[in-house]
Amino acid sequence: MTAPFYKFGYFNDEVSLIIAFVIGLFFGFVLERGGFGSGRMLAAQFYFTDMRVFKVMFTAIVTAMIGLFYFAWMGFLDLSLVYYGDTYLLPQIVGGLILGIGFVIGGYCPGTSGVAIATGKLDAIFYALGGFFGIFVFGEMFPLLKDFFYSTHMGKVNLPQFFHVSYGFVLLVVILVAIAGFTLVEWGEKVVAKKRTENK
Amino acid sequence: MMLKTFAEYPPRKRVGLLAILLGIIAAFVGDPTGGVTKRVNLKELAMIASTSNDKVDAKDLAKWIIEGKFDYRLVDLRKQEEYEKYNIPTSECIPVSQLLNSDLMRNEKIILYADDEFTAAQGWFILKANDYKGVYVLEGGLQCWKDKILFPKLRIDASPEEKIEFQKMAEISKFFGGQPQTGATVAKQTAEMPKLKAPVKVKLKKSRGKRKREGC
Repeated sequence: MTAPFYKFGYFNDEVSLIIAFVIGLFFGFVLERGGFGSGRMLAAQFYFTDMRVFKVMFTAIVTAMIGLFYFAWMGFLDLSLVYYGDTYLLPQIVGGLILGIGFVIGGYCPGTSGVAIATGKLDAIFYALGGFFGIFVFGEMFPLLKDFFYSTHMGKVNLPQFFHVSYGFVLLVVILVAIAGFTLVEWGEKVVAKKRTENK
Repeated sequence: MMLKTFAEYPPRKRVGLLAILLGIIAAFVGDPTGGVTKRVNLKELAMIASTSNDKVDAKDLAKWIIEGKFDYRLVDLRKQEEYEKYNIPTSECIPVSQLLNSDLMRNEKIILYADDEFTAAQGWFILKANDYKGVYVLEGGLQCWKDKILFPKLRIDASPEEKIEFQKMAEISKFFGGQPQTGATVAKQTAEMPKLKAPVKVKLKKSRGKRKREGC
């Protein structure tokens, strides 16, 4: 059997929803255990006080990348059939910034607010309500934003294609960036901790 | 000793080192997609598509088969069952999904056909995008082959030129086991068309074997 199972038709739409539900449960559980269910912990990323979430996230990315690369290389997975969306460069940069600002202010990203709601956190409930309100406003304003929303379309493009390098090279670069990032944020944690004790 | 052994490093550093090692290997082992993603020169494809140079007329194909030309490979893109029911002599059956795994060579002249031009065009695109040079499509597909070659029709009010042309086509049609249809019989014959496919079958199977061996 070769993955992606869904693309090869090993199961249909209905079964895919059940599988998504089960994977979602595990995903939520892991997020909660990783500390992603706490707005304080998430916001700490932006103040360099506790970079746990950053490290968990980047570790997950690197682990998944290594896994996908070698599974594909061994023939268990057809990487060419794995879905990812089109690139609309400018709107996606703006969207990312808006999400980031919301993240700092609210202490959650949309997914983690779901996790926090499951543990009954009030701030997460208000965060999610705000998110839905934002979706509504965006939907109503869409005719005005439409031109920008579909601008700078680059089609389906990934880093290896964009930079004309091999998949493996991108993998190596991301691993090195991750490790450099870990070293950097741990140094940042120490600096911030030192300043805090000095200020006391 | 300045250098510590691998086991002496704390777990986090060991994991980090392992990740770097896997990354370095990854950078050198090659493309994990197995080369199925391709860059396509859209302009070139559009240019070819805008001319009709990528199409082969059914009459030309029939002549080549009769003359015993062997400088091309005729590929039937339909399912195996349909292929067994009827196929154009000298053709070989390669469903679209198997095109890239087949023994077709990039420098061969390849003529594709299916029931209609559409499926053949899909196969054409797959091969063209994969750097096959001489890929052609049978104009009008198998339907056109039936109409023009197996069951050519002569209208009652045909001109003398058309009649001469029809005589030629009738010869070709008989070669392929078809039935040329003249004025009075036209209407009746059309209803029976699907059944008339059968006679050619036996002849084809033999030629198909020959063709296959040549491909290797």
